[in-house]
Amino acid sequence: MSAILEAIGNFLNTLGPLIVLPIVITILGLILGMRIDRAFRSGLVTAIAFVGIFLTIGLLGEKLSTIGQAFAERTGTGLDIIDIGWPAAAALAFGTPVGNLIIPIGIALNIILLVIGLTQTLDIDIWNFWHMAFVGAIVQYVTGSFALALLAAAVSLVIALFLADWSAPLIQKHFQMPGISIPHLQSAGYMLLAVPFAWLINRIPFLRNLKLDPDTVRKRLGLLGEPIVLGLIIGILLALLAGQGWQDILGTGINIAAVMLLIPRMVAILMEGLTPVADAAREFMTKRFAGRTFHIGLDSAVLIGNPTVLAAGLLMVPIEILLALALSPLGNRTLPFIDLADGPFVAAMLAPLVAGDVLLTVILGAIVMGIGLIFTTLLAPAVTAMISTSGAAVDIPAGYAAYTVMSDAAIPTSYGLYYLFQTPVVVAAIVSLLILVGLYFLKRRFTLGEKAFTESADVAEKASTKSASD
Amino acid sequence: MKKIYLVCATGIATSTMVRLRVEGFLREQGVEAAVQQMRVTELHADRIDADLIIATTSIPADVRGRAQVVDGIPLITGQGANETLRRILEILQPAS
Repeated sequence: MSAILEAIGNFLNTLGPLIVLPIVITILGLILGMRIDRAFRSGLVTAIAFVGIFLTIGLLGEKLSTIGQAFAERTGTGLDIIDIGWPAAAALAFGTPVGNLIIPIGIALNIILLVIGLTQTLDIDIWNFWHMAFVGAIVQYVTGSFALALLAAAVSLVIALFLADWSAPLIQKHFQMPGISIPHLQSAGYMLLAVPFAWLINRIPFLRNLKLDPDTVRKRLGLLGEPIVLGLIIGILLALLAGQGWQDILGTGINIAAVMLLIPRMVAILMEGLTPVADAAREFMTKRFAGRTFHIGLDSAVLIGNPTVLAAGLLMVPIEILLALALSPLGNRTLPFIDLADGPFVAAMLAPLVAGDVLLTVILGAIVMGIGLIFTTLLAPAVTAMISTSGAAVDIPAGYAAYTVMSDAAIPTSYGLYYLFQTPVVVAAIVSLLILVGLYFLKRRFTLGEKAFTESADVAEKASTKSASD
Repeated sequence: MKKIYLVCATGIATSTMVRLRVEGFLREQGVEAAVQQMRVTELHADRIDADLIIATTSIPADVRGRAQVVDGIPLITGQGANETLRRILEILQPAS
């Protein structure tokens, strides 16, 4: 069985994502009942998006990593691992052998879990299966086994669905979005770690009284919310501190601003390819499960417009940089970079845990990202390997430069599974099973409702904004 | 021509899903409109140049006064999608 899987893995690797993904997407579309021309178009657009993404990832190239190196040496901070950001990481993860198969496998696994009643979430956010592909990719790097990588990706999908089910009552109420849940590890993945801290800081009375007004924060720090401006500023600062000439300083600023705009544009093309498939999956399921209610699993992006989440996300920008510097004696080597624009995703599902209080959300964010920076440093070799074995045009100078992805490598489940799957297979299997069973009972016994967190917190009502429809 | 902003958290993911839905629908209805995807953080109340904002995330209060705002989530989940599309059409082609 595992020999067959390894052979499949090798075969996929030889063909590469540009050939495999369109075929997989087309076949999946046909199974889900799409017309052949639509299914084929989806597959083709997906492949085109990959051509574009691999071209633009080249912008991150050699220059950036040499500047990172110079920065680390000149400033003596030891921050020599550069954060490539989630848009690039997503594409790279989809480009791995596990990533090639993750969408059909993810949909199938989700359907099976729905049928046997282990989850109430129908995850139509198939784009975010890249988080599971990412886990698979780093596990494949460290174990060399395609079978274990698939298993790790599957475990992370089940964890995401459980977290979505568990948090659904709280999320639906806080954000006033009935019928949805968020199986999106980029936000939900931080929740489990944050819950005990949330319990704690909710009981520190004076913190609650230091109310920060989300609108003031948004107006003051609004520029940091525009990724191209953020990219320009960070790029210039980095090159300046690295002691580059003025042409290189300005050039780097423009280059990073370009990364912030162009890679996401390419990712939007990928979404264009995947959306009709997601629609088909949703219709396929609703037809067959008529009368049953389930949560529609969405990207945590739907929560981000909330004022608290936005404000906390903006405040996370300077905090992540300070954390990286402060934690460098403790082993952090990650230089927060492209994913500085990602703060709202970290904050999105932490805010409901503290009844939408901006300051408390930022404190929780700082705790999970502080721990997360150590994970990103530990995962850098795996991420670097993922980049260098992909079809992307990134030159990594031999020997020293390394990359990581702040958003995803910082998620506790990423490092947890990476670590777990290095242990003997039996141990990994048993522990995974225990985690899943534990999460299942956690979901059953300890409902993540408001009561746990919003007792005596009148801010809850004020902070949760009304949904866009009213 | 009417202008539509499609707003989500990143200007990439859910707004693309909504764009495909809305563009397909407008083509069927024979309505022309200029569609632009935006990040919610790029919205500034004094720089809004749109007749309609379709958002998959909540929109700051000061922006709400500048254009009609429609919740785009039903277009993604499928629940209530037809009502949402009808509302979009009403805003773009007010019965005169």
